Amino acid sequence: MLSGYEIAHGLIGGIFVGLVYALLSAGFSLTWGVTRVINLAHAAFALIGSYITLTLLELAGVDPLISILFIVPVLFILGLGMHYFMIKPTAKRTKDITSASMVLSFGLYMIVENLLVVIFKSDDRVLHSRYSDLSFHIGPISVAMTSVTSLAIAVVSLGVIYFFLNRTYTGKAVRAVWQDMDGAMLSGINVESVTAITYGLSLASAGVAGLCLVLMYSVTPYIAFSWLIYIFLIAIMGGLGSIVGVTVGGLIVGLIVSLGSVFIPFAYINLVLFVLLIVVLIVKPTGLFRR
Amino acid sequence: MMDMRNLNMLKKTIPWVIIVLLAVFPLLSPDIFFLSIGVILFMYIALGSSWNIIGGYAGYLSFGHAAFLGIGAYVVALMLINYGISPFITCLLGGLLAALFAWIVGFPVLRLKGPYFSLATLCLGLAVPVIVINLPASIYGGATGLFMPLLPVDIFVNRTIFYEIMLALAVVTTLISRWILQSKFGLGLKSIRENESTAETIGINSTRLKTMAFVLSAFLVGIIGGIYAYYRTYIHPTTVFDTNLSIQIVLMALFGGATTWQGPVIGAAILVIIDQVLITAFPGAPAEISRLVYGLILVLVIMFMPHGIMHYILNWLKSRQLEAEDQEVQKSC
Repeated sequence: MLSGYEIAHGLIGGIFVGLVYALLSAGFSLTWGVTRVINLAHAAFALIGSYITLTLLELAGVDPLISILFIVPVLFILGLGMHYFMIKPTAKRTKDITSASMVLSFGLYMIVENLLVVIFKSDDRVLHSRYSDLSFHIGPISVAMTSVTSLAIAVVSLGVIYFFLNRTYTGKAVRAVWQDMDGAMLSGINVESVTAITYGLSLASAGVAGLCLVLMYSVTPYIAFSWLIYIFLIAIMGGLGSIVGVTVGGLIVGLIVSLGSVFIPFAYINLVLFVLLIVVLIVKPTGLFRR
Repeated sequence: MMDMRNLNMLKKTIPWVIIVLLAVFPLLSPDIFFLSIGVILFMYIALGSSWNIIGGYAGYLSFGHAAFLGIGAYVVALMLINYGISPFITCLLGGLLAALFAWIVGFPVLRLKGPYFSLATLCLGLAVPVIVINLPASIYGGATGLFMPLLPVDIFVNRTIFYEIMLALAVVTTLISRWILQSKFGLGLKSIRENESTAETIGINSTRLKTMAFVLSAFLVGIIGGIYAYYRTYIHPTTVFDTNLSIQIVLMALFGGATTWQGPVIGAAILVIIDQVLITAFPGAPAEISRLVYGLILVLVIMFMPHGIMHYILNWLKSRQLEAEDQEVQKSC
């Protein structure tokens, strides 16, 4: 029989996982919303964040929290590069950038994945940090310190992105471009640089999400693909470009995954998520949190 | 004028000459390696042409066609193992079941437009193998997969048989795809691609046409999957339902030019050859290197030719024709 303990455990686990997945999906949702580009390589960039964390810790003993300072600029620059050297030249040559970008970014995904295999081999890698052996107690339920840390990072990062989009001038410009590109151009917004910044922000947030994920789970270069289904579901449920929507979507998906695995075999959860995705797409394709 | 007619005759005969040459190729008793490449090449041509019916003509980019391939493969394997019926017959059943599956899934999925359809099919492709792995292992093989008995002939004859069958499948699917493009059905699909709501206002039943295209595409892919399973003799959910395979199909079609019937043929031919060259060019190097270069080529091609190769060839031919006409006009003046 199911006990209250199991359900409570599922609930808390779901919130932890959900918020990390929300951070992972935020950037994907932003680039799709702002530039109509579906970046299938998004999860692969998150994995770059994971491997940077692992390498820094193993080679130089850098604390995972400090490696954020490396991950954010590196992935921000990668994002700018992706915009200037891949998306921009492609967008010039095609009307349907959405379809082209899916294929383009799959090529990019292959490049990143295989680079990671070449550099880091395809073994399972686990992060052993100073948080690994600690745990944190909520009543009778104990939560690993690593989960608490990644939850904190995810919440702070989501907050920073929200603040950036809603309170700063550049962030407001990003939202303006996402709502109406021509209108934004007419009101004197430099759409070009705003788009570039969106990519930088998107990949940087993915990298930080990768750090959170490597704190909680073991990783291999091939794992990125299995993250994609969560990213799609959360981005579509939350409505494109809405940080609040993505956060709620992440929580819903996290709770379904976590509570679902209490009731049914874990393998069937992808199936449940797939059905859910279809239902959401048909009932409300603009997402649950956008008018 | 005479030149033009000769050119047209040539254009019609050259493909058939190539097909006949390919068909008699095994008589030269070539290395088995080349026959294996042929099987893979023809399979991708057939898959690309089938995919193109829904993905290219109607513009509904399906990223989950491996689901249909896998269904065909599993039907064939189960029928052979449990009832001993030859896969060359049961592949039709595999195709029918794949088509039925496509019809059922098509109800919700085909209502989605653009990238939403692509994402839904991609997730479908990710979900189906999970179901198959968790079906009762004693019948469906589960995570160990299914082994099929080999054809009772030596390896060369075996490869030749599959080579010829795959060649035939490639030719038939390409012909079907060409016929559709030139038919009223194809025109309807094209109008859906260009603008679905406008197509509906001029009386095109877009739901019916899309469903037909999706089901036909799945049927052909299911048949190919059945033959492929017997060729491999071992199937596993992660190999026949491989999402990479789904995406390979899309890439080959887009690379060649998805709005034309020649596109998938050219795309598959070039990419399979590049793939093989890369594998042989880095002997001893890990497979990742060749996959890496392959990804790089994909990125470059989509960046510089997002509409595929055929698009450029057709434009070039058109501009040449216009030039020739111009010159003729100038001469007559």
